[in-house]
Amino acid sequence: MAPVIEAKNLGIHFARNRRRNKRLRDMFSTESKPDAPVRPPKKVSAAKPGGKGKGGKKRKHHEFWALRNVSFQIQPGEAVGLVGGNGQGKSTLLKLIAGVLLPDAGKIRVTGGVAPLIEVTGGFEGDLTARDNIWLTAGLHGLSKKQIAAKFDEIVDFAEVGDFLDTPFRHFSSGMKVRLGFSVITTLDEPIVLVDEVLAVGDRAFREKCYLRMQELLSGGRTLFLVSHNEGDLKRFCTRGLYLQGGSLVADAPIEESLALYRADIEARRAQYL
Amino acid sequence: MAGQVVPARLGTLWDNRRVLSLLVVRDLKVKYADSVLGYVWSILEPLAMAGVYWLVFTKLMTRQIGEDPYIVFLLCGMLPWQWTNAVFRSSMKSLSKDSKLVRSTNLPREIWVLRTVGSKFAEFVYALPVLAGFALLSHAPLHWQVVYVPLAIVLQTLLLTGAGLMLAPLAVMYGDVERLMRIVMRLLFYFSPVIYGLHDVTDSGRLGPAGKLFILNPLAGIFDLYRISFFPDQWSGWTPVVIAAAGSVLVFIAGVYVFRRLEGRVLKEI
Repeated sequence: MAPVIEAKNLGIHFARNRRRNKRLRDMFSTESKPDAPVRPPKKVSAAKPGGKGKGGKKRKHHEFWALRNVSFQIQPGEAVGLVGGNGQGKSTLLKLIAGVLLPDAGKIRVTGGVAPLIEVTGGFEGDLTARDNIWLTAGLHGLSKKQIAAKFDEIVDFAEVGDFLDTPFRHFSSGMKVRLGFSVITTLDEPIVLVDEVLAVGDRAFREKCYLRMQELLSGGRTLFLVSHNEGDLKRFCTRGLYLQGGSLVADAPIEESLALYRADIEARRAQYL
Repeated sequence: MAGQVVPARLGTLWDNRRVLSLLVVRDLKVKYADSVLGYVWSILEPLAMAGVYWLVFTKLMTRQIGEDPYIVFLLCGMLPWQWTNAVFRSSMKSLSKDSKLVRSTNLPREIWVLRTVGSKFAEFVYALPVLAGFALLSHAPLHWQVVYVPLAIVLQTLLLTGAGLMLAPLAVMYGDVERLMRIVMRLLFYFSPVIYGLHDVTDSGRLGPAGKLFILNPLAGIFDLYRISFFPDQWSGWTPVVIAAAGSVLVFIAGVYVFRRLEGRVLKEI
């Protein structure tokens, strides 16, 4: 079967310091042109974390690679967990899959629509009512009027905001905001679902509902990408684990193995400090 | 999506036209959601601006430019100018203002600029009754040249979209852009035929041969096209219009190019 997500030598770099590439000449240089021809992968397989190199003379000091030479293929229906510490590139990878960041090197190909549970409340407008917001956000993510009308009640029920439909969104509590966001995005009928630690918020009852909803989505044959620091969540939903460290993919294995590797690395580091 | 060639990109944009209209409606809703005066705000600004210039030029000074009724003459330039001004200003914020939205939806990013052009166009249309009202009051007849208005709108849309596509990413990368544009817009206002007509500067000899340079401003030809609906005598021929068309297309192409080049970097910044 053709993979739904295919990453090939994927890389993206960010500026290290506040003064980015201020020079106009740099801005238009072909160096990081997104559609530049793919560079041949480096001979040394795992590039050094925070890797240097890549031609540029001056730029290397100002930039670090948040992801470098990451390659993998995801088949439809797989549930993948991203494992790794803070700042190791997990969320960046998720954003690349969602198409809201563009790679500086390599390619990422995503076949089919993506329901991104990243910044779930991002689409909401504080001044508008919850009702208007549901219509607008669902529309922005590609649902037609008919589809929204059909799913409106379901969205409202799941988010438990029925009594506040005509309340301006900014008066919502942070829990309510996230609930509504989660509810809208998981109602999208997209084959790929990306989840970035949204489950951490919300009270226990709602978290249980989220779990159920995710289980439903998975059994419906969707492809899931989950970023979480919670081992329980990862084990519960995911079968495969990608372990990212310093922007490189250090393990692509069943989730248990990737987690074990991650734990071992943490232990090793702890041993160093003691 | 990044690797798409221009035609494919346009196709993606066309597929998302419903989203675009949704965004424009959202802008209008937000604009009126919490204000008491609501719609009045849309006409208050052009009204105030036109009022000031009308006062200065018809009551305080002897007017040697434009035509009677001057208030109608003014509004013919002022309304499209305000559309221009609004797009230039808010396109610089179009990516940063809704950065969360930009970061959480995988729409062709040009849509955020188009949305600015669109919602400012809606406000332009909303303000047209002001012009109609003054035209009725001062018995200014509408001429058949009003058929050129759609052409003016098309050219202006191209021009503003191109400029917006350039300004939006540049303003994210450089804080200087916004300050610079504040000055540029002030100058552009006086160098465009808003309070005067194009042939006031090109033909009258007030500015000598330098006056001829005014037709190089794409806005000149566009404002001319609007104005001849009420003042056919103001027509300076097709040359300014052709220049405006060429300029608009050029700016549009440059905008598409700049936007595509900077898109990846801008996404990292917002």
